Amino acid sequence: MAKIKVDHTKCTGCRSCELICSLHHIENTFNPKRARIKVFIDGEHHYPVIAGPYTDAECTAKNTVVIAGHEYDECELCRASCPVKPVFKEPGEDIPLKCDFCGDPPDPQCIKVCVTEALTLIEDTEDTEDKEDKEDKEDKEDKEDTEG
Amino acid sequence: MDGWVGRIIRVDLSRGDFAIEDLDPYQAMDYIGARGLGTKILYDEIDPKVDPLSPENKLIFMNGPLTGTGALGGNRLVAVTKSPLTGTVTCPNSGGHLGPELKFAGYDGIIFEGKAPNPVYLWINNDEIEIRPAEHLWGKTTNETEDIIRAEIGDKWQAMDTHIACIGPAGERLVRIGAIMTDRNRALGRGGAGAVMGSKNLKAVVVRGTGAVTVYDGQAFKETTLAVLEKVPPGGGPVAEFGLLAVGEVGAMFGILSTRNFQSNVFEGWGNINMTALKSQFLVRNRGCFACCVPCARVYRVDNVEGFECAGEGAEFETHALLGAACGVDNLPAVLKAGYLCNNLGMDSISMGGTLACAMELYERGYLPEKDVGYKLNFGNAQALVELVEKTGLRQDFGDVLAEGSYRMAEKYGHPEISMSVKKQELPTWHPQAVQGTGLEYATSNRGGDHMKAFVLGEELLSSGGPEIALKTEGKAAMVIPAQHRNAVIDSAGLCTVVLAIAQSWDFESLTSLLEAATGAGYTQESVELAGERIWNVERLFNLAAGITGKDDTLPKRILEEPQLSGAWEGHVNRLGEMLPEFYRLRGWDEEGVPTQEKLQELGLA
Repeated sequence: MAKIKVDHTKCTGCRSCELICSLHHIENTFNPKRARIKVFIDGEHHYPVIAGPYTDAECTAKNTVVIAGHEYDECELCRASCPVKPVFKEPGEDIPLKCDFCGDPPDPQCIKVCVTEALTLIEDTEDTEDKEDKEDKEDKEDKEDTEG
Repeated sequence: MDGWVGRIIRVDLSRGDFAIEDLDPYQAMDYIGARGLGTKILYDEIDPKVDPLSPENKLIFMNGPLTGTGALGGNRLVAVTKSPLTGTVTCPNSGGHLGPELKFAGYDGIIFEGKAPNPVYLWINNDEIEIRPAEHLWGKTTNETEDIIRAEIGDKWQAMDTHIACIGPAGERLVRIGAIMTDRNRALGRGGAGAVMGSKNLKAVVVRGTGAVTVYDGQAFKETTLAVLEKVPPGGGPVAEFGLLAVGEVGAMFGILSTRNFQSNVFEGWGNINMTALKSQFLVRNRGCFACCVPCARVYRVDNVEGFECAGEGAEFETHALLGAACGVDNLPAVLKAGYLCNNLGMDSISMGGTLACAMELYERGYLPEKDVGYKLNFGNAQALVELVEKTGLRQDFGDVLAEGSYRMAEKYGHPEISMSVKKQELPTWHPQAVQGTGLEYATSNRGGDHMKAFVLGEELLSSGGPEIALKTEGKAAMVIPAQHRNAVIDSAGLCTVVLAIAQSWDFESLTSLLEAATGAGYTQESVELAGERIWNVERLFNLAAGITGKDDTLPKRILEEPQLSGAWEGHVNRLGEMLPEFYRLRGWDEEGVPTQEKLQELGLA
């Protein structure tokens, strides 16, 4: 299965990915707030985050992650749309937004405008795919259990 | 009309209120947007003779129809006002994210009128607009102002999506080369718009928006944009790798980097401050503006090297060329620090470098006494460079003289010819003595010494005829005029000239297809070219009414009469007199440089 490889060190913070995402999903429209990808620009750091699924619960623990000496709020790195984060939601409404890979087969538009190749589409090996699928499923079941 | 959001905020600072007006779609189409539309509004609404620093001047922030779209380089916001440096109309533009954010908030532009009784800033959060007190921000640097405003927003998610334009101490103190800074390190730089903002007691404009910019034909727009991206060199090419300092290598190679106040064209210390020096010593990462895949900005950090400490974004080519080569300074940490101070105090780094270079020459020739400066001011004095940039921003000591720009300073010391300026605005680095068309471009720029209003240099140096084309005066008027119109269209559309040049997509055909896909207004290549000419002429009409005339279309005496160049260009001077009459004639202007009635009628300006 294809997946998007995100290399923060190559991101230049230009947000072209947000714009093409918006245009692809909403006719004739550029609105970064309605994109399913967001580039966080924090001092000397840029990192694109692609919207994952909605989760209806707030995290009970807040984390700060240190990567190569820089402190990240894990909320920013997290792909989920959730009740407490005003990102990956239709502005003014609480309808969550989620990356749909631009259809099936995947044809992510963000890759096409990322000249610096911070976003690239790569093929995953079959083994990894099986494993990840299984993990995803287990995660989901675990979560449902907890929530239930 | 698509491309536009259709609304403009008019802020009366004297009365402390504002109104929302509809954009006039016909006017928007005739003047494309941003630079053109802003100039038209200024020309219609103020007497061009007003004192630029009086409440009667207006400051207009205007976007183009492509600002905020995904068009390559669609990030430009223009500030149009009467310049306190030149007395002409000026139109500095800035990349970054502020212009697009203003459109997402629901506004194409903002017209500031009058003068606030006390310092204020304008707060825009979609439909929520407030004129807020800014006493606590007055006196703060641009970085401090950003930090305080962001901290006051409180909510981190809102703060991260907020974009800010502000002035620093220089604008507050009416420094004539004061800039408005956006997103900390992008500048509405040339012509002293920062001083106009300061004269209005307006410290900052803070914008957050969650709305959209719609385009007429999204599919065509996308196809055009992807086709333009195809023409960008892989990874963004040398400018992505080295920033605009990459362009400096071309200047050094051709021997046209102005050195020691344009007394030479070869700076022996260039290698110490050039692109490789920066990259190997102080570069943190590359950064691009909104919707631009060629990250020309350099995020850098200098941790106490030779006593200099600074971190920011910039290391722009012209900044290094003027603060470095023109001042004979090859100390990279000092040049970076001087550039940092320009940003943090809010000043145009080109004019700052040009003014300091002029002061250094005045000093070396014995026209400027040491007691006035406080210390020796020879070319190459890195410590003095940094100290005097700071003093200029604060108008302290000799900085108060520098704050008036090179022309007024040189005039004060009895030698205005030492100011390397056109219409009192300092020249960019490209030495115009041999490269004839570039000289014509400088002389005829509507906002004084400037290289971004036509930029024929590439065509002159790299055309198939080889560099000898540069030395010819024949055909230069015909080369400069369409380029002036082209750049007027780019600035007015809301696009970045630099990235379009890199993508080789700055011809009228490409520009027309983008404008048409965005607006659906019925643009044709012909109508877009005509709009470019209309914009150029309305600027000219403003300047003529302001008292800036054909006699001001000239170059410094040194460039016209005294050969300064070595190497292949040795012995040459700029032969402006051979080009200017043809320039006027081809423009449909009379011998004095005044547009004829026929021309004005053709452009709908009569």
